[in-house]
Amino acid sequence: MDNFYTKKITPYLDGSLSSEEQNEFEAFVRTHPEVEIEIKKKQEEMSLLKDLMPAPQLTSQSLESLNNELRVSIFNLLKPEPKNALDRIKHGLEDWFSR
Amino acid sequence: MTTIIFMKRKEFYLIIEPLTERLYRFAYSLIPEDLQAEQLIIDGFNAFLIKQKKNLLRREVDFKEKRDLQVLRKIYFKAILRHISEIGLRRSTQLQDHTRLNKPSEFKAFYNLEPKLRMILSLRFDAQLTVEEIEEISQMAKYEVIEKLHNGRFLLMNELNKGVIAHG
Repeated sequence: MDNFYTKKITPYLDGSLSSEEQNEFEAFVRTHPEVEIEIKKKQEEMSLLKDLMPAPQLTSQSLESLNNELRVSIFNLLKPEPKNALDRIKHGLEDWFSR
Repeated sequence: MTTIIFMKRKEFYLIIEPLTERLYRFAYSLIPEDLQAEQLIIDGFNAFLIKQKKNLLRREVDFKEKRDLQVLRKIYFKAILRHISEIGLRRSTQLQDHTRLNKPSEFKAFYNLEPKLRMILSLRFDAQLTVEEIEEISQMAKYEVIEKLHNGRFLLMNELNKGVIAHG
């Protein structure tokens, strides 16, 4: 097996190859099934690794409450400065309709 | 014909909303406690809004173009992650120093890793970001990201192998 390319398996799976290197590597893999087997082995190892990492989920209630907090932040922190009375009315309406 | 419009706050929220659960998983990888993780998202998000306030709504977005929305959503996702990681790393260390944070019984091997390693692993394997993107979010040099990715993976796999040996 070509050592130069086998060393690139992990960086390839890590996404650290440049797009040029990635294309070159993929072209090499297409003609070398033994490297493809190695890649599959590494991928299995990585999926094992994902099992060791938490994947918590928010309850629907927490999700709703968190989304509300983000929404309030957007409305408060991105409030445009009104330039005139018309702007003030426009922004007021936007606030009202978005409740 | 599609219409190009400037973003309203409500439309901006619609871009952000689908990101909440992914942000939560990332925050939880740094601080494994429900309320603290949620607070971390709020603080990181507010920091992002305050920093980028001037430009956020000034984008021309075609809401009928799904691809445009996805691209924009990813840009925002990475920018918010950057603020969450900055605050989260600091907070995670403080909470550990004061022993206010108990390590969860599940995923012990993962939570035994230092916060920076957890952050890099989560960005790579959960958020599915490339090394270049992680470099941008974590503000670390590329070699450092690669090194941490390697170390984190090695330490976790080691724990897994130990478990396999222990359980025969």
